[in-house]
Amino acid sequence: MAIPSRKKKQGKILTLVMIPLDWLEERSGIVGGVKYFLFRKVPRDTSWWHTLGSATLTAFLVQATTGVVLAMYYKPHPDTAYESIERITNDITLGWLVRGMHKWGASVFIILMFLHMGRVFLFGAYKYPRELNWIVGVLILVLGMLEGFAGYLLPWDQTAYWASVVGINLNGTAPFLGPFLAWFLQGGAEIGSNTLTIFYAMHMLLIPGALIGLILLHLYLVVRLGVSSPPWSDVAAGRPRPTVTSNGRAGLVNPAPRSGKAK
Amino acid sequence: MSAVDERRAQHARYKEDVQREGHPFFPYAMFHDTVMSLVVVSVIVGLACVWYFTGDPDKPGEEGTGWLGVIYEEKADAGTTSFTPRPDWYFYFLFYLLRIFKWPDSVVLGTVGIPTIALVLLIMLPFLDRRMERRLLHRPVAMVAFVLTVVAMGVLTYKGATAKEAGAAGSEVVDKWMTDNNLPEDVRPGAELFATSGCLNCHTYDGSGASNLGAPDLTDIGAQPGKDVPYFERYVADPSTFGNNVMPKFASLGAENLHAIAEFLAASKGGGG
Repeated sequence: MAIPSRKKKQGKILTLVMIPLDWLEERSGIVGGVKYFLFRKVPRDTSWWHTLGSATLTAFLVQATTGVVLAMYYKPHPDTAYESIERITNDITLGWLVRGMHKWGASVFIILMFLHMGRVFLFGAYKYPRELNWIVGVLILVLGMLEGFAGYLLPWDQTAYWASVVGINLNGTAPFLGPFLAWFLQGGAEIGSNTLTIFYAMHMLLIPGALIGLILLHLYLVVRLGVSSPPWSDVAAGRPRPTVTSNGRAGLVNPAPRSGKAK
Repeated sequence: MSAVDERRAQHARYKEDVQREGHPFFPYAMFHDTVMSLVVVSVIVGLACVWYFTGDPDKPGEEGTGWLGVIYEEKADAGTTSFTPRPDWYFYFLFYLLRIFKWPDSVVLGTVGIPTIALVLLIMLPFLDRRMERRLLHRPVAMVAFVLTVVAMGVLTYKGATAKEAGAAGSEVVDKWMTDNNLPEDVRPGAELFATSGCLNCHTYDGSGASNLGAPDLTDIGAQPGKDVPYFERYVADPSTFGNNVMPKFASLGAENLHAIAEFLAASKGGGG
C-alpha cells in the first residue's frame, strides 16, 4: 500500500474545498462576485488616507453587532428601560463591555464619517463621475446622526429624557411640517411610553435598515467607479498624457511620472 | 473638446491607468484597511474599558463619574425640573447655534434655517464645484470653504461643550435679585422656586443663569405690556399654547408654585437693575 504523496493529499483537500464553491458559483455566481471584489485593480498610490471609509464601515458593524446583543436584554418601556440598562451593565456577563462599546462606538462612527467626508473633499473625489456617491454619503451622515439622536433617549435617564424633550420641541419649530413631526415623534401629547417605543423602532429598524441599504449602494458605487488617487500623486490614475501636448495646451499638462516613485 | 467630453476622457484615462499599473485590492489595499479596522475596534474597546473601570457602576449620576463621564445618569423623571438639556457631543454645534439666535423672532434660523442651508449646500457640492481640478493649491475657493467649515464646526462644538451650566442658584443670588430689582418681599418664594426649578438652565436673570436654546433674559419681563400674573401662570404651565414649542411644560410644578413663580416674574420690571 503506497503512502499518498503530499501532492495528492493537497489535491484532495483542494477538491473538497472546490466542490461546494463550484456548487455555489454555478447557482449564484457569488464566488465570481467575491473574486471580482477582491482582485479588482485599485490605483497603485492608494494609501492610509483611503482606509477611512472601511474604518467607518467597521465602526458601523461594531454598532450593529453590539446593538443586536443590547436589544436582547433591553426593555423599551418607561418603567423598565432604565432598570434593564442597569442590569446589562451590572449583571449580564460582559454586558458593560457591550454597552460601553455601543456607547463609545457611536462617537467613533460619527468622527470617522466626518473624517472620511473631509478626505473625500480634500481629494476632490466627489467630482465626476462620483457625484451620486457623495450624495449617498451625505445621506448616510445625516441618518447616522439621527440614529444617534434616537438612541440617546433609550437609556431613559435624566439627560436623555430632557435632551429629547428639547430635541422634539425644536423639531416642532420648523415651519409647516414641524408640529406634525414633533407630534409623530412624541407619539401623543406627552413624552412617554409611546415616545420610547417609537424611538426604539426608529433606532433599531427604520434608520439602520435605511443605513444598510445606503451603505450597500455606497459600496457598489465605490467598486463600480473605483477610488481616486491622491491629487498630489505623480502617478495618479487618469493623469494627463504627455502626448496631449499637441493640442497646444502644453503649459497645463503634468509632466510624465518622475522616475522610481512608483510603489 | 467640450467639458463633458473632457471629463469622460479623463475617466477613461483613469480606468486605463488603473488597469495597466494599479494593483489588486487584495492584499494591498486590504492590508491597510484591515490594520485600520483593527485600530478602530481597539479604540472602541479601549474607550469602553476606560469608561467602565474608572467610573463606579454602583453609583448613578455624578458620584460614579470616571474619566469618560458617568456610567449612568439618574433615572428620567418628568416631575423634576432641575434638568440640563444637553445633547450628545456631536450635536453641540447645533446646540450652540441656538444660543446665537434669540427666541422667538430669529430662533427658527438656528433650528431650521442655517442647518437646512448647510445641508443643501453639502448635498449640492458636486454640482457647485464642477471643475475636474483636484490639486489642493489649485482649488482656493474649496480650500477656504473647507478651513472655514472646520473652524466653525470646531468653535461651535467647543463653545457648546464649555457652555456655562447654571443649574440651581443659591439663596444669596435671590437676595441680590431682591435688592437689584426692588422686588417686594412677598415674591421671595417665587424667586427661590425660579432659582431652583431649572429655569436658569436656559434663561438668564440679573446676570445669573445660562442663555440656552434662545431663551430670553427675564430680568425685566414683567415690564412688558399684558404680562401679568395669570399670563405667566398659563405660559409656564404650557408654553406651547403660546406658540413656544421649545420650552418644556412646567404644569407638574402645581398651581401654587406656578402662582408664586408668576408673581415673581410679573414683579420683575428691571427696577434698579
